[in-house]
Amino acid sequence: MSTVAMMARPQRWEAPFGPEMTETEVEKLLNLPEFRAIDSESFPKHTPLSGILENDTRIMKYKSGDIVVREGDYGNSAFLVISGKVRVVINPSLPRSMIGRESTKKRNFIEALSQLWTNSSEPELRDTSRYGSQALRDPDSGDLTSSHVFIQDIPAVLNSHQTAELESGALFGELAALGRVPRTASIFAENDAELLEIRWQGLREIRKYDTEWRRKIDERYRENALKVHLKETPLFSDLEPEELEEVANSTLFETFGSFDWNVSYKRMREQGKSAEEPIIAKQGNYPDGLLMVRAGFARVSIKMGTGQRTLTYLGAGDYFGFDELWANKTTGEQSLQTSLSALGYVDILRVPAPIIEKYVFPKIKDNPKPLLTPSLSKSMEADAPMEWALDQRFINGTMAMLIDLERCVRCDDCVRACASTHGGNPRFIRHGRTFDNWMVTNACMHCEDPVCMIGCPTGAIHRSLDSGAVVINDDTCIGCGTCANSCPYNNIRLVEIRDLKGQPLRDPGTQKPISKATKCDLCSNNPGGPACVRACPHDALRRVNFQGEETFTGVKV
Amino acid sequence: MNAVTTRYIILWVFSAAFIAAFATYSSISNINLGQPEFITGYVLFGLMLGLATFNARKKLSMVPFGRSAYWLAVHVVGGIAALGLFFIHTGNVWPTGAYEQALAIVFYLVTISGIFGYIIQKIYPKRLVQTELEIIYERIPAELSELREKSESITIACTENTGSDTLARHYMESLRWYFQRPRFFLSHALGGAAAEHWINQSYQTVSRYLSEAEREYLNNLNDLAKYKSKIDFHFACQSMMKYWLLAHVPLAAAVLALIFWHVIVVNVYAL
Repeated sequence: MSTVAMMARPQRWEAPFGPEMTETEVEKLLNLPEFRAIDSESFPKHTPLSGILENDTRIMKYKSGDIVVREGDYGNSAFLVISGKVRVVINPSLPRSMIGRESTKKRNFIEALSQLWTNSSEPELRDTSRYGSQALRDPDSGDLTSSHVFIQDIPAVLNSHQTAELESGALFGELAALGRVPRTASIFAENDAELLEIRWQGLREIRKYDTEWRRKIDERYRENALKVHLKETPLFSDLEPEELEEVANSTLFETFGSFDWNVSYKRMREQGKSAEEPIIAKQGNYPDGLLMVRAGFARVSIKMGTGQRTLTYLGAGDYFGFDELWANKTTGEQSLQTSLSALGYVDILRVPAPIIEKYVFPKIKDNPKPLLTPSLSKSMEADAPMEWALDQRFINGTMAMLIDLERCVRCDDCVRACASTHGGNPRFIRHGRTFDNWMVTNACMHCEDPVCMIGCPTGAIHRSLDSGAVVINDDTCIGCGTCANSCPYNNIRLVEIRDLKGQPLRDPGTQKPISKATKCDLCSNNPGGPACVRACPHDALRRVNFQGEETFTGVKV
Repeated sequence: MNAVTTRYIILWVFSAAFIAAFATYSSISNINLGQPEFITGYVLFGLMLGLATFNARKKLSMVPFGRSAYWLAVHVVGGIAALGLFFIHTGNVWPTGAYEQALAIVFYLVTISGIFGYIIQKIYPKRLVQTELEIIYERIPAELSELREKSESITIACTENTGSDTLARHYMESLRWYFQRPRFFLSHALGGAAAEHWINQSYQTVSRYLSEAEREYLNNLNDLAKYKSKIDFHFACQSMMKYWLLAHVPLAAAVLALIFWHVIVVNVYAL
């Protein structure tokens, strides 16, 4: 008879954010004014406030000059100042070298050519003397009191940069943590400071159950980001400042889908199921407002037979429901002609219909063209590749590697070109999901929503400020595999590295090999762009942005 | 029309003009008792050297020497232009002199192998897509090994569960051969249906002796055999697309060596 092994069902707080948090420290935190004001009764029993503080927060100590957050990093936590002072560098930004980011030097022609004879026969050689200098903290040490990167001359920074002081009780970093956007400024400790770092899971719970924190976070979002976002949207760009203020104050924030959609998506793919798509707006319902996508992707679909046919998909900055709102104003009542569903995680801004009618419609002089008419005219066959790309969530890709298999002669010149520009090991696999004659290979797609960056303990994986590509700083990567596990498309690989003599590197304690995460970097160090595209003799390989209309037809390099 | 197609058109027009110009020059020079062979010969030599740099470019993919697709376009059109120029240079399709004839044979073989490679690279990828299967060439042996294990397991399970060895006997007599390694290479490469025919015949041969329970196992084996046929098809087509270069590249090197000696001989003895 077969036996069954037993284990407790994994619980959310099995891996606390800060393992050293004690009940005493939680008590101390609960006495802080920011938490004392919270009504702990409003939290459900399974997610008490004390539990959040114990498991989703940790206390961080910074010495004078330590960098707390770095401009451009993708953070997944916010900070509350418990004691001491920190400073936000507003303008100009701190130089890259000062925040521990060495600029990657692009090779010139001769240096690129020299790879022909300098590439070792052993792959993945590394100059280990470079390691350990650029990470904000050492994630393995467990020491939360020392920072790797710090500012030596604080007065000089204060003299030459516009900064703002944040004192006890100040909350910062919440927009980057909740909105999955890069940190917009660097922040350093002006004197010895104690901060409470709250990971996004805890922050979302507090925002959800406490009205004051929600009001505070939403207010800061309205103040700091929403107005800019509205101003950049063509519909609102003509509004006067006071009108914009009114629109911002009336806008509702909604989220659909799971924040860590990549985890459930991967699981469902492994089980051969389709990923869930929460409905945001349903065809036939009354349009009660304009829905603007702030982050993530949403599918616009229409009923067809027993299923839903995709008309298009919306990304950040797109909006939904405008045609119906306009029709309601001009020709009479009209329900939603299409449905909107969340592809993964979507942040929606809902601007109520009366506000649109009051401020936006009067500014429109000509009858606007319906947004979805062109999509409806396409045949099902023409739409099939897009339906597939949506189902596979490839729409996230801005530089996906798309191979036309009717042209590809499987010569692997692309793979060899990639290997020869990356020290002998290719950064992708010429294999992947296929539809008809199209294959999206296992190469980093440089996603619009790079979930791989969430959770990187050293900030090694980041978006390049120069090119926008998602790249890994090899010097700070610790090979933990968080990014590889997060990537929904399995496009990041851990490789075992060697020193410059070709000797495999091992950890002296565990004897385990030292690994580094690797992925396509669009040959950012090499002149001439991605070598794979240049190397394809049959014009079969392209790097495409799935948001482009011509992804499956035209040439886009 | 994409950029590569546009360049092909431009190159074909340019190449036609190039050949026409040399044909005219050669004709006029011959009438005037000149020796156009020197000019056409050196241009042909230069063109052949230029065509050979395409292979070097493949090794230098780390430097921005332009897209390989453009290089291939130049290589293909230049190769056909070289054939035209060869006719102009020799004045006929078959030169006199043993050495020149040897050179012509190797030159024709390079040209034919190039055209052959170009054609199969246009045809095979489309046919591979129609299999609705994509497999990396280097993975094929492992994939076939897995299939072989699965087929043997099915056969053993059939014997164990039904108590009959008919299917096992058929497997040992016939199917084992099929699952052993890639089969029907030539048929797959030429677009024949020999594998499909063989699988159907094999099914019918044994099916009449099997019970309903055994036939279930046979059906499973049949599915595996059809799947293997697709892999065999990939093996045949991908092998052809890889290995035609093993003829083309050494022949190209040989023709360059022969031309080099031909140039020396001509300069020493004909001037």
